[in-house]
Amino acid sequence: MPEKKLMNKNSPKDVVTDKTPTASAATPVAIGRKDPALLEGRRVLGMVPGKPVAGQRKEPAEDDMVMVYPHLLVRHAVAAMSVLLLVLLVAIFFDAPLRAIANPTVTPNPEKAPWYFAALQELLAHFHPLIAGVLIPGAIILGLVALPYIDRSVFILASHRKVAVATFTTFMVVWIALTIVGFAFRGPNWGWVWPWQEWHGEL
Amino acid sequence: MDVMNSGESDLMGRVRATRVGRSIWRTPKKVTPRDRAAGHWSSFALHIYPVKVRKAELGFKYSWYLGVISTVLFGSLVVSGVWLMFFFVPSPGQAYTNIQTLQTEVPFGQYLRNVHRWSAHLMVLTVAMHMAKVFYRGAYKAPREFNWVIGVVLLVLTLLMSFTGYLLPWDQLAYWAVTVGTEMAAYVPVVGDRVQSLLLGGNTVGQATLLRFYVLHVAVLPLAIVVMLTFHLWRWRKDSMLDFDRGEPDA
Repeated sequence: MPEKKLMNKNSPKDVVTDKTPTASAATPVAIGRKDPALLEGRRVLGMVPGKPVAGQRKEPAEDDMVMVYPHLLVRHAVAAMSVLLLVLLVAIFFDAPLRAIANPTVTPNPEKAPWYFAALQELLAHFHPLIAGVLIPGAIILGLVALPYIDRSVFILASHRKVAVATFTTFMVVWIALTIVGFAFRGPNWGWVWPWQEWHGEL
Repeated sequence: MDVMNSGESDLMGRVRATRVGRSIWRTPKKVTPRDRAAGHWSSFALHIYPVKVRKAELGFKYSWYLGVISTVLFGSLVVSGVWLMFFFVPSPGQAYTNIQTLQTEVPFGQYLRNVHRWSAHLMVLTVAMHMAKVFYRGAYKAPREFNWVIGVVLLVLTLLMSFTGYLLPWDQLAYWAVTVGTEMAAYVPVVGDRVQSLLLGGNTVGQATLLRFYVLHVAVLPLAIVVMLTFHLWRWRKDSMLDFDRGEPDA
């Protein structure tokens, strides 16, 4: 089970063998790394819910850490101001669309959902509405919610969780393709159009 | 460290050292790193941040700053949105003319509407990208599973926010996009028709729909986002050190 693996990998012995070239050097390093609160064979402190016990914890190296202020904050400030600048510039050059006043008697053709629902609308053209409009979106949301409880391995690197990465990537590629098709490649009566010939995308 | 942090040699330091200053900023003189950590710890503005982070988390590559960017866009939407509310009445007789007046007569009206519109589209994009980035980084792994779930809820709320806002200008684009969207609700087994009429407040998109979408858009959903976002950030903050507790086993 994952938990067992995790404990084995993080046990003091493993940490030591990772860092020391010879077996004879293992003992002093092991003592040095021991948590002072950890008496031989007994755990006195370090029982925090959700955390491994003190002796099995990986402690960050002191020089691995930097103060959030200013190091992270300055980067966040730059990111924040860059995106604000982008929005403020785009808003100068592109106006938000406003079509004719809503008229329930005149149905535009094509009738388009906002772009983030274009993939769903494209699916509606191929499947029964119960499947495309209810079951598929429901399954996507449930799948996303359940993801961390399905993929419970300790592996973090993408190369070590190939099944999860392949599944998620496939979903993303299909979803983005459907969105692009629904947004830009569909015209009157949901027929196929080339976006460079007829443009029907709406933002 | 330098003048900035030494406490009293600059203007800000002198202000802080006064009796009133000390009552506002309960921070010690910033001499040692420990003092600066204590200053961070006691700062209201910084309380959502941990005091220290790993160097690896600083760079663009780690997160693409998508969480920060999404939050900033939400802020931009709240500011521009509240401003738009001053000029808007959610009724089919007035909504469309309000937008026209806003665009032609209100100073910066068109501009702020643009800011709101493009921020909204961009936010949908960045929230979705944030999810993808977190997935590929493996940051949904224990102990952060539940924060991923909160993130999915936030994505759904963002989409609902965007969709409810789409109707408000009451033009053909809005009307028919919402007609298409709400027709789907009718296909939910058993309760579909009731869900649809609950959303629409009738059989078709009309006065009741506009009011419902408006209330959802300016009150219910933003509050829900604020609550969930607070929770999301609180979990992020509390979990910031947990990463050290588990490691990538050797391949």
